[in-house]
Amino acid sequence: MTAPDGAGDVRGVAEDALAWVDARRAGFALGEDALSADGEVDRSWKPLGELAQVCATVTRRTARSDPLHARARALLDFAWRETEEGELLLRLQRLEPFATYPLEVYASLAAAGFRHPAFEAAAAVVAGTRGWRLTEQDPTRRLGVRCAEERCGIRPRGQAPPAPRGTWLGGLPEPWTFERAAGYALTHVVFHLTDWGRADDALPPDLARYLADWLPPWLDTCLDAGMWDLAAELLAVAATLPRPTDDTVPPDAWRRLGAARDPSGAIREVGREDGDGEVGDPARYFAHHYHSTLLAAFAAVLTTARPAGRPAGPRHGGQGAPA
Amino acid sequence: MEQSGTSALLQGAVQDLASGVVSALRGGGHPRVVLPADTGGAAGELALAAVRVLGADAMLPSVLLRTPPDPAEAAVFRKAVEAHPPRPDAALSVRWSHWGMARTLRRIDPSSPAGPPDEPGTGALDEADWQSLTRQLAVLAPLALPGEDCAVSRAAVRRPVDVARGFVRAVRRRDWRQAAGAGRWLTLLPGVPDTLGLVSGLDFVELMGGQDPLVALHVQAARLMRTGAPV
Amino acid sequence: MRSDQKVLEELTAIQAADIEAALDPAETDGVYRDSRECAALALAGGSGGLLLSPPAPRPKKG
Repeated sequence: MTAPDGAGDVRGVAEDALAWVDARRAGFALGEDALSADGEVDRSWKPLGELAQVCATVTRRTARSDPLHARARALLDFAWRETEEGELLLRLQRLEPFATYPLEVYASLAAAGFRHPAFEAAAAVVAGTRGWRLTEQDPTRRLGVRCAEERCGIRPRGQAPPAPRGTWLGGLPEPWTFERAAGYALTHVVFHLTDWGRADDALPPDLARYLADWLPPWLDTCLDAGMWDLAAELLAVAATLPRPTDDTVPPDAWRRLGAARDPSGAIREVGREDGDGEVGDPARYFAHHYHSTLLAAFAAVLTTARPAGRPAGPRHGGQGAPA
Repeated sequence: MEQSGTSALLQGAVQDLASGVVSALRGGGHPRVVLPADTGGAAGELALAAVRVLGADAMLPSVLLRTPPDPAEAAVFRKAVEAHPPRPDAALSVRWSHWGMARTLRRIDPSSPAGPPDEPGTGALDEADWQSLTRQLAVLAPLALPGEDCAVSRAAVRRPVDVARGFVRAVRRRDWRQAAGAGRWLTLLPGVPDTLGLVSGLDFVELMGGQDPLVALHVQAARLMRTGAPV
Repeated sequence: MRSDQKVLEELTAIQAADIEAALDPAETDGVYRDSRECAALALAGGSGGLLLSPPAPRPKKG
């Protein structure tokens, strides 16, 4: 397993990241244009949904006594209040009945235990249409919507878990075709399949093996390129694998991600800080840091939540140098 | 250092030589003289130095295509081996490169002693992480030959997944030389994950980096080794 | 001729150090370039990216 100092790195990232998020929760507030036709969903609902998704996993994967748990719980309560206990989502659904993102956001809150029956009933009406099922979207996104439907009881859970049909990852492609877009798609397929790290052993074995084989070069090169956000997502993926990650996560990965932390505790999406800093331009700073900081907390919690002492066992004659 | 002029000169000569080897490998069996016959004077010294740097691959066409080496070429090859032994403090890769040439020399020159030359150690190769392992293997790609065994190749055989990871890393970094060298090794290793897609990977490396004759050389060598060119 | 003499002098300066440096090269820095998006091709326009990551595309800096 990871060396003791490595574990300290990981925990430190989680604490700093979630502390920063908590202190900047106002940045996640919905704002007055949350329902306006010209409001930007990416600046309002998207960050809130991501906050809820990550915090739902943090609460699920930490003991109640863990300070991280309490912080995440408080942030979830904040997020639910922002939606006016779900009322805004219901209104949103009436304004944009064919949009998928209201359900996607709602599902992240439902994962944390919040429900709004009238919203679910409304969403179910539309979800039963051919139009909804045929919504033009990326296969990875469609998988996410399907998972959201199942989580909210809008679509009955099938006997088989949803398959990553048509996705890049689902086809087990040549790993050297990896690049940024493929990377974000693959991480999301894993997040959807594993219910954002809340489900155990949710990955089909061939997918898990494929990821274990190829995460090391993807991680190493993302860190080398300063792609902190994607690196954090890949670390989260590694943490959901059924096999131990001794071989899968480069030993210095968490140190390198940790080194990308700002004094504020936040982690930039890409590269080095080049603007006026948080004090000089808080909105810009938030926009460039919130996502990667959230995902770093997510990955760190999943990593530390892995059960210790799972037998490693040799594979392929013991690949990877001894730790 | 004032070396930059001479090392650029040397690089150019190595690449020219490598281009000749690539043509010979693509030519499919037609005997083709690659090495310069004239090794006298300053130009000859440069040529010998280039042969030394290209290493065992200077004789690769004759080895992979199983054609008897041209005697004059063999003589030049021998001269390069003898003129540039590793210095006492030479890096491991320099020693192994020379060792690979000595091994080839024994195959092609009946007047050589029988049996392989003494191997240098592998240093910390077995303990190297997969990134470092692949980097070092790629530099020693001239040792990657079918049916040939040494401590370096054994280190590679033990870790096919790690070398495959190194290949992926090299491609992502657009380090085509390292990718080509790693790909050449992978052709010989059992246990490489199917999902790697090595064949199209080599095509891709050649597409992206093939203007560099050293890249083209390793890719072409890998292809010939894959189709089981007899050795 | 003088220029030939100069070239010869340069050539004879190939040292063992040059050879060994060529045989023990340092790794070059990685070159990273990812595919750019073409927003015009995205069906949903502006915010047509994946929800809930990746981070939304930013307007280009002036």
